[in-house]
Amino acid sequence: MHTLEFEGVSKSFAEKNVIRDISFSVEQGEIFGLLGPNGAGKTTLLRLLLDIIKPDSGEIRVFGGSLGPAAKDRIGYLPEERGLYRKTKLLDMLVYLAQLKNVPKKEAQANAESLLKSLDLYEHRGKRVEELSKGMQQKIQFLSSIIHEPELIILDEPFSGLDPISTKTVKDKILEYRNSGRTIILSTHMMEQAQKLCDRILMLNKGERVLYGTVAGIRKEHGNNSLLVEFAEKRSLSIIPEIQGIRKITEHEGSVEIFPEEGISAQAVLQELIRRADVLRFEQAFPSLNEIFIETVESASGE
Amino acid sequence: MSNFSGKTFVVAKYEFLKTVRRKEFLFMTFAFPLLLAGIAIIPSLLAGTTLAEDQRVGYIDMTGSFDFPESLTHEGFSVGPLGAKPSTIEFIRYEESSEAREALQSGQISSYLIVPADFLETGVIELYASEKGMSVPGAELSAELSNIAINSLLKDRVDEPVLERVKDPINLNMYNVGDNGESSEQGIAEILTSFGLPFLMAFLLFFSIFSASGYLLRGVAEEKENRIMEVLLSSVTPSELLTGKVVGLGAVGLLQIVVWLSVIFLGGGYALPVDLEPMLLFIALIYFLLGFLFFASMMAGVGAVTGSLQESQQVAGIFTFVAAFPLIFMQVILTSPDSPLAVFLSLFPFTSPASMLARIGASEVPFYQIAASFFILFVSIHVVIVISSRLFRVYLLMYGKRPGVKEILKNIKAGGR
Repeated sequence: MHTLEFEGVSKSFAEKNVIRDISFSVEQGEIFGLLGPNGAGKTTLLRLLLDIIKPDSGEIRVFGGSLGPAAKDRIGYLPEERGLYRKTKLLDMLVYLAQLKNVPKKEAQANAESLLKSLDLYEHRGKRVEELSKGMQQKIQFLSSIIHEPELIILDEPFSGLDPISTKTVKDKILEYRNSGRTIILSTHMMEQAQKLCDRILMLNKGERVLYGTVAGIRKEHGNNSLLVEFAEKRSLSIIPEIQGIRKITEHEGSVEIFPEEGISAQAVLQELIRRADVLRFEQAFPSLNEIFIETVESASGE
Repeated sequence: MSNFSGKTFVVAKYEFLKTVRRKEFLFMTFAFPLLLAGIAIIPSLLAGTTLAEDQRVGYIDMTGSFDFPESLTHEGFSVGPLGAKPSTIEFIRYEESSEAREALQSGQISSYLIVPADFLETGVIELYASEKGMSVPGAELSAELSNIAINSLLKDRVDEPVLERVKDPINLNMYNVGDNGESSEQGIAEILTSFGLPFLMAFLLFFSIFSASGYLLRGVAEEKENRIMEVLLSSVTPSELLTGKVVGLGAVGLLQIVVWLSVIFLGGGYALPVDLEPMLLFIALIYFLLGFLFFASMMAGVGAVTGSLQESQQVAGIFTFVAAFPLIFMQVILTSPDSPLAVFLSLFPFTSPASMLARIGASEVPFYQIAASFFILFVSIHVVIVISSRLFRVYLLMYGKRPGVKEILKNIKAGGR
């Protein structure tokens, strides 16, 4: 059973297509990245998932069925547009939001207290939201999405506005939840975070699916068979032109990327290199998600 | 509105507690009746204190026929238990106005009267008081002086009953002839009940409906403005949220109007000579509930469509203005409660709660009209709730430009999905 399944889902607002025929699925216990440039339809897709808006066509299944009230209680959602009751006390607000997920009041209270403690916010529990710093508000917002211990956690740009330490705290929490078998959907355009955290991704551009699969698979697929080489001595770079079958090279900081000609294997190149110089590091170079992202979006807009 | 789930109750309870703790609410609910009571009681308290001063009044009788008593004890008329202190006016006779003037200047008397020799022709009595002295109860004194004058002129010339009748010539009793032909006496209490009270009740009804639905408008607009709406909607359906808010804030409004009505009820029996019919109270509560549901659902729709708190209040102001018509035309409703305008206002859903209540207070309203107004209001509530929850669903998460009327109408039609 897939935790989440989209089948041919489309949605348009005022004659403008926002989501076009999207299909994908999310498995239990994975971190699934939802990537795409601004305006690609990520937030709309999440709202469709949450039944906040209805699709024009297609089918959405959550936990194997259509999203009923009971299923909603098993989902935690952190929207991109952050919002909290400004004048309500922290603890009261967290308890209220948990109660809306059908958590009994006592349990909600206990959960809220332990979560506040785990993020070092317990001393602020009696304060109003407006008295907190921006970063603290962000953390509270994150807490409000996990207070009812959901099985599916949907995070829309969870790291925006967080300092490095808070980012690490939130990241650790995300990994902790994944390791305990929960499913996380991470919508972001911070590609570096996505590359490190996500198991699989779906990339949208202008409402259409442009990439879908495991992070490793996508990077391999988009690799242009280049090699990343690091020499012990910098002057060893001069030996590269001696080797046959190299199309071009690009120098990076401390390493060089070698693009072999078609039909030349990486093994052959490596052997040639080792014969001539000390090689510290040699690996197949995969493009980063960031590079793939930019390439994909640019090629799409070039059409 | 059909699914009253546990979450609806959670929303209702949260909204209720949040609003009840607001300073504005506490102020309106408890300070307002105090203010009202203050307006009713304070003037009589003030009057009571001046009356309570014993006074010495000198007089010079040039006609020689006036029979001043040595002193007059005056039972102060007042509203409430505090002002009923009797005061005494002591009369002192002087022969010459110069003597009286000296006495006034030296403070022995607070004022003096001169009855001129041609009193019988002119009816003039002169009252002299020092400029900086305490106030003279001119109206009270004038009534007492009339009695003294009538006594002096007519005593021993007419019979005692005639004398008394001259002092107090007529008591006008007013009667209402009802539909069933029975007449009922209409005294001061009835006049207050049939004019003051309906107005007060209509006013309070208008006020509580608008403060409660105003909270709702503000709540929705604020939640939309600070973006918490999306979090809420990931947990509850729009109709659960709407129902919870309406129920919670309706309870707040009900609490408020019950506090106000009990102040009138308890305070009314105590200080004002009014007679409140329990039936009228009951009808008032029903009109509150229906009126609140009507306006609250409308405000929720307005809050959902508009983008900010400020904008939503401007739009809501239009509805409030329409709803204030009964207060503007209150005089027509009370003086001619069966005129077409009054009947129309008491049937039109925007204005019916306050107008009908005022009409019921002012006259006998045919039962079918009350039933019709309930029915119209009830149907309107249903329509407004359907429209509002559709708007709620479509517009809660839309920001930016406010949609035009055309687009809103289109979405109301399409929103049934």
